[in-house]
Amino acid sequence: MTAYLLRRLAISLGVFTVMSVLVFLGVEALPGDACTALLGRSATATKLAQCRGANGLNASVSHRLIDWASGLLRGDLGFSIKRGKSVVDIVLPRLRNSLALATVASLMAFPLAIVVGVWSARRKGTRVARAVDTVSLVLMTMPEFVTASVLWLLFAVWLPLLPGVTMVSSNASLLEILPNIWLPAITLALVVFAHVMRSMRASFLVTEERPFVEAARARGIAERVVVRRHILPAALPAPINVIAVTAAWLLTGTFVVEVVFNFPGLGRIAVDAISDRDTALILALTLFGLVVFIASSFVSDAVTRALDPRMRAQVAS
Amino acid sequence: MSAGAVIVGGHLLLALAASVLPLQSVVAQDSNAILQGASGAHWLGTDSLGRDVLSRTLHGGQPSIGVALVAVLLAAVLGFGLGTFAALVGGWLDDAIMRVVDVLLAMPSLLVLMLVASFIGREPVVLVATLALMYAPPIARVVRGASGNVLTRDFILAARLRGASRRAIVVGEVLPNIAEVFITEVAMQFTWILLAFSSLSFLGLGTSPPTAEWGLMISDARGFITVSPLPLLAPVAMLASLVLGVNALVDRRAQAALP
Repeated sequence: MTAYLLRRLAISLGVFTVMSVLVFLGVEALPGDACTALLGRSATATKLAQCRGANGLNASVSHRLIDWASGLLRGDLGFSIKRGKSVVDIVLPRLRNSLALATVASLMAFPLAIVVGVWSARRKGTRVARAVDTVSLVLMTMPEFVTASVLWLLFAVWLPLLPGVTMVSSNASLLEILPNIWLPAITLALVVFAHVMRSMRASFLVTEERPFVEAARARGIAERVVVRRHILPAALPAPINVIAVTAAWLLTGTFVVEVVFNFPGLGRIAVDAISDRDTALILALTLFGLVVFIASSFVSDAVTRALDPRMRAQVAS
Repeated sequence: MSAGAVIVGGHLLLALAASVLPLQSVVAQDSNAILQGASGAHWLGTDSLGRDVLSRTLHGGQPSIGVALVAVLLAAVLGFGLGTFAALVGGWLDDAIMRVVDVLLAMPSLLVLMLVASFIGREPVVLVATLALMYAPPIARVVRGASGNVLTRDFILAARLRGASRRAIVVGEVLPNIAEVFITEVAMQFTWILLAFSSLSFLGLGTSPPTAEWGLMISDARGFITVSPLPLLAPVAMLASLVLGVNALVDRRAQAALP
């Protein structure tokens, strides 16, 4: 297992290095640069040249790539000319808020999704199970801003239980942020719940048909034990992969929900950065997305291996 | 007719009819009548600029449905072409095409769309082309899988022995046999494109004001929700019902396609 993890880690690092260079070149290839974005309509040739000279944008692409990469190794993500701040200072407090939001949403959605998935698989065909199925399909396909707007109307306007729009700044203490987390977290939880629940149910139903389950039942093993010791270990890898993918999405794909509730996280700053073409910030945020994507596939592979006795045996032999 | 077909048909009809129905102007503002409730003059009230909500809601489907329809047709042609071509040639070219498809599939589509809209432009042509490119890969993958199965069957061999051309085989033999899977996949991608485009408008990077578009209307209405929920609820209901309708339709087709 250790050898496998080390090899997998080396591959992940390689993928990250190659992809981050591609991301840098991709952002580089976008029309316009930080100075055209900063100066906007007031840009004249002399002003542009001045701004580019002051910010080191005249150097060649390869030179700046090396600059950027060596900064990255020192934990320096660059400087946002547009916002007049170092990228790290912009990103860190919002990263903390996004992590808090993703954690709350995960805690709400994932354990419940596994339980409901198993429950509805075991009651397949009953009216309640079909109703749960339909509702989850609706939640899955609805655009997030529709779900979010309806929840907002229900719980912040008609029943004023929760704050609708975040008014605190991005670097407020977690205690001040917390009341503002509930509505966006519930919205996100509803979306990811449906995905994980359906995958758990489908995987359970497929596993239940396999001969070893029939054999266990034929040996007279109690149904509870069959479910826990025989079906679940074989059925869990599929929903765990879905959890890994959706957890990554919770950290990197929450643009719309954060904008709806004005939540001061990475999603909202990403939308702002893209709208005003803040390339330094876009680069850092895309890189963060890449790290999360690679990490989530790494974790999901490792967990799948650890869970599956056959895969463990393969590695041992 | 299924409920899904009725809903989707109704939506298409309404989107077309909005231009001919005797509706009030989409852009005319009335500063004396802002955020009013439902009345005889404005059946669904007015928004924060005093514009008629009913007219804007009925017109609001045109940009998203139009963009999504054109984009999904392009994506379908592209996906079908790539998928069948990969299945026909096989070998390293097949592998190469499918790896490129996998890479495109892994890209976060909303992020790419936002970048394109902000840096290249938000003209419909640009957005349609980007959407078609982003949503062709899943179609190509499904077509590749399905036509790969069909191509191993005996009647394909028979057609080859008859001396049928590659084009004749693709159009005459493969297409009819993968039609169900293909159409279902294209319909699914239509909803994703619709959602992506209206999300983009919601984020302020798609349709530009003062055009009536559901995502943009929902975004505009949020600030005034405590005064009047109608400008928010009307486009929400339309968007939600269209998405549910297409899903009901797809679900039915998928079930009908099972042996």
